[in-house]
Amino acid sequence: MSAPTRHNEAWRYSDIAAVEAAWPLPAPESIIVPAGGTFARTIMQDSGTIHQLDIAIGKGATAAIHVLNIGGDYGRVELNVTLHEKADFKLGAVQIGGGTQTLEVITTVTHAEPGATSSQIVRSVLAGTATGTYLGKVAVARDAQQTDSVQSVKAMLLDRSATANAKPELEIYADDVKCAHGCAIGELDAMGLFYLQARGITPAEAKKLMLQAFVAGVFEGAADEDALTEAALAKLGDLV
Amino acid sequence: MLQINNLHANVGDKPILKGLTLSLNAGEIHAIMGPNGAGKSTLGYVLSGRPGYEVTEGSVTFNGQDLLALEPHERAAAGLFLGFQYPVEIPGVSNVQFLREALNAQRKYRGEAPLTGGEFLKVAREQAGALGMDMDMLKRPVNVGFSGGEKKRNEMVQMGIIDPALAILDETDSGLDIDALRTVGDGINRIMRKPDKAVLLITHYQRLLDYVKPDFVHVLDGGRITRTGGAELALELERDGYKELAA
Amino acid sequence: MTDDIEIKDKAAWDAAEKVADYEHGWSSDIETDFAPKGLNEDTVRFISAKKNEPEWMLEWRLKAFAMWKTMEAPDWAKLNVPPIDYQDAYYYAAPKAKPKLNSLDEVDPEILRVYEKLGIPIAEQKLLAGVEGGEDGGLPQRRVAVDAVFDSVSVATTFRAELDRAGVIFRSISEAIKEYPDLVRKYLGKIVPMHDNYFATLNCAVFSDGTFVYIPEGVRCPMELSTYFRINAENTGQFERTLIVADKGSYVSYLEGCTAPMRDENQLHAAVVELVALDDAEIKYSTVQNWYPGDAEGKGGIYNFVTKRALCQGRNSKVSWTQVETGSAVTWKYPSCVLNGENSVGEFYSVAVTNNHQQADTGTKMIHNGKGSRSTIVSKGISAGHSNNTYRGLVRVAPNAEGVRNFTQCDSLLLGSLSGAHTVPYIEVRNPSAQIEHEATTSKISDDQMFYAMARGLNAEEAVTLIVNGFAKEVLQQLPMEFAVEAQKLLGISLEGSVG
Repeated sequence: MSAPTRHNEAWRYSDIAAVEAAWPLPAPESIIVPAGGTFARTIMQDSGTIHQLDIAIGKGATAAIHVLNIGGDYGRVELNVTLHEKADFKLGAVQIGGGTQTLEVITTVTHAEPGATSSQIVRSVLAGTATGTYLGKVAVARDAQQTDSVQSVKAMLLDRSATANAKPELEIYADDVKCAHGCAIGELDAMGLFYLQARGITPAEAKKLMLQAFVAGVFEGAADEDALTEAALAKLGDLV
Repeated sequence: MLQINNLHANVGDKPILKGLTLSLNAGEIHAIMGPNGAGKSTLGYVLSGRPGYEVTEGSVTFNGQDLLALEPHERAAAGLFLGFQYPVEIPGVSNVQFLREALNAQRKYRGEAPLTGGEFLKVAREQAGALGMDMDMLKRPVNVGFSGGEKKRNEMVQMGIIDPALAILDETDSGLDIDALRTVGDGINRIMRKPDKAVLLITHYQRLLDYVKPDFVHVLDGGRITRTGGAELALELERDGYKELAA
Repeated sequence: MTDDIEIKDKAAWDAAEKVADYEHGWSSDIETDFAPKGLNEDTVRFISAKKNEPEWMLEWRLKAFAMWKTMEAPDWAKLNVPPIDYQDAYYYAAPKAKPKLNSLDEVDPEILRVYEKLGIPIAEQKLLAGVEGGEDGGLPQRRVAVDAVFDSVSVATTFRAELDRAGVIFRSISEAIKEYPDLVRKYLGKIVPMHDNYFATLNCAVFSDGTFVYIPEGVRCPMELSTYFRINAENTGQFERTLIVADKGSYVSYLEGCTAPMRDENQLHAAVVELVALDDAEIKYSTVQNWYPGDAEGKGGIYNFVTKRALCQGRNSKVSWTQVETGSAVTWKYPSCVLNGENSVGEFYSVAVTNNHQQADTGTKMIHNGKGSRSTIVSKGISAGHSNNTYRGLVRVAPNAEGVRNFTQCDSLLLGSLSGAHTVPYIEVRNPSAQIEHEATTSKISDDQMFYAMARGLNAEEAVTLIVNGFAKEVLQQLPMEFAVEAQKLLGISLEGSVG
């Protein structure tokens, strides 16, 4: 199989040259969470690699993935998640890019059976000429009634030449579902910045604090929450 | 301490302040009163340098410095404190972290050594205690989930910790019940009624002035000071209203 | 006993007939002048010659046809469209009528009957009648000038004299090509380029007729303008071309209504609509589309592949698209705004209803190039039966476009568990000062809502219609009043048989 092009939806904003260089990719890591089980994983992408995970979450099982996507010229984290009956999936992802970085998080969350729940929180901060992309698809199969899915996607651009792309997609074939998606791209709240500066904090520091607020809470519940937060703050510090 | 001379300012293209002149000396508490839309909040924002508030004419001198030439954080470091009418919520950043960073940024600007964590917490505990705020609230994100009264109280705690030379308090009394009003009034007196400090209280009602007795009361109307008097002027305004006064 | 069964059967039979019966599904018997079946250069020449077009127009068409031959038919992600045999259709069908018509009086009475049967808004019919008898007396009514496109040819425009006095040009596009060649050449193909997509290119080659509107500087068009499209002849693709130019400071509201009778084979419809708004100009474009959706088994119906795009070129220009899409077997359309002007505004309000085996893939593109440009997208999709309903949209902010605002709301309502509702929004932002918000929800009609409505005396279908209308209200209220009333009725009709 040859390397994908931009015509391929899942790679439409990718750094195609970097993908070709890495092609062919190894088979995705396959994770099966047995019925009633729990699974947690932190993915720290700090070296410009492509991570691909297939996760099947069994009946009543739960999985939580935390992602910090910050390193290398091209970094990609791709999750393909299938939820069985009453399973639960949680994703908290932060990507922070500067310079000429291309960073992306791609998720396909399929509610294959009834009563499963999923939540995805994704925050992107982009500076320089970096590109940050989140392609997030939630698919609800024909009989997956009582699906409950929430998705919160936010991106912040620090420079005029940076790019944020988002595609919060829904594909729904069952009628008794709750799927609420929100996506917002914007700049730092001007009033918040002023409030911080009126207390004596320098503009750069104020920006950093506001960005800290922007990614706050995404790593909640991760085993290495503090380490993740610290790494995220350090990367933010580099950008401001 | 503060000399405002013939100040004109626009918000967007709209002129709001139209030749305001006012002088505050150390040791004085001034109240600015006036009807809605008179430009009271604009004055506070212009003095503290909010983006989008453009000075078109006039000057402001603060302790001999050209205040208008300074960035907002430099004004704060120079000793100016704005108490916000609507304090801003900053999720994910704790009060403690916020205030310590603010205080140390100001100290650094003034060439003073930063406070250590222990030193800072001691000051913070004192000030919070004096205003009846428990330490748990100080650890919570800035203003997130605070009631209106708690936000205003938090502003006073911040003022106590930062210990400014000049406080401009914008409608600090709005949204307070009677007990909170007393606590806030006591806080202002305790922190700011000192010979080397001054306060500019911006308020619509006279009730805060029952607790913080002003030396001067000014009426702001149509973007300029239309009348100045002592504490009794506030009572007169309360009784007769701004309309009566204008007529 | 036997009687009972017969009666029951008859009731069932009637009900089945009613469900299967498409209100506009009959074919009138009018003499038609066809182009030879099939598509080649001669077809293009035939159409151009039939319309006495100038040489430049023929050349333009031929260029498009040559381009089209090199293109490949698109293969869509969410649409299931069988291959179309472009040689097995007629590309031009004109009713054999008088060569030039000045009022509806002169229109073939059979065509008028067709419109009557179509239920072109009663208010408008009365109004048209009133005009013929003079305008004295009667209540002041909102007036609508109608340009009727029957199969491929524009047969009549009303109110021409009054529009002429205001300086408004409202013509069939064939007339405009001859009468205002400079204006047409200046804008035709400039908003939707010839090579834009497979169906737009095809349209360039074989467009049969359509509408041209020009509103001069500072003029508020004195009435709403309206075109009724209708596909009548069997196996005739209809390719209209609409071009509306609103000069500086002008305003126009344009209504487009479409119906087609029932046919067994799928009919191709590939229109191109181009709008241009200059400084401070505003265009409001409303569509109600209820072409034949095919029968309950998914047989027949219209393929509706439309390219609609507006260029908000001027400062403070505004274009508002409102659409109610209830018909067609397959709908593929994305009325879009290219917001070049500073502080220009684009709006897209859409209700799309799909039932039985219908497929709709519709949405919008808002391309923000101008500083301070703003856009609003409100999309309401309702899926019933075995149908699939997709919102597909793009919001793009260019690097130099400061202070852009967009708000998007996509709501889906599913009726029954056999349909699908999909949302595919693309958001691409390159300027930090942009504020982009997207919200999407999916819901069904709750049992509580149904019970409440039925406890107040509504039957199941009435209750569904009521709730669906409430769901779509935000969009329906953007329509001019007469249109809104029709649209509400249409929602009900389209969902017939969807409640079990």
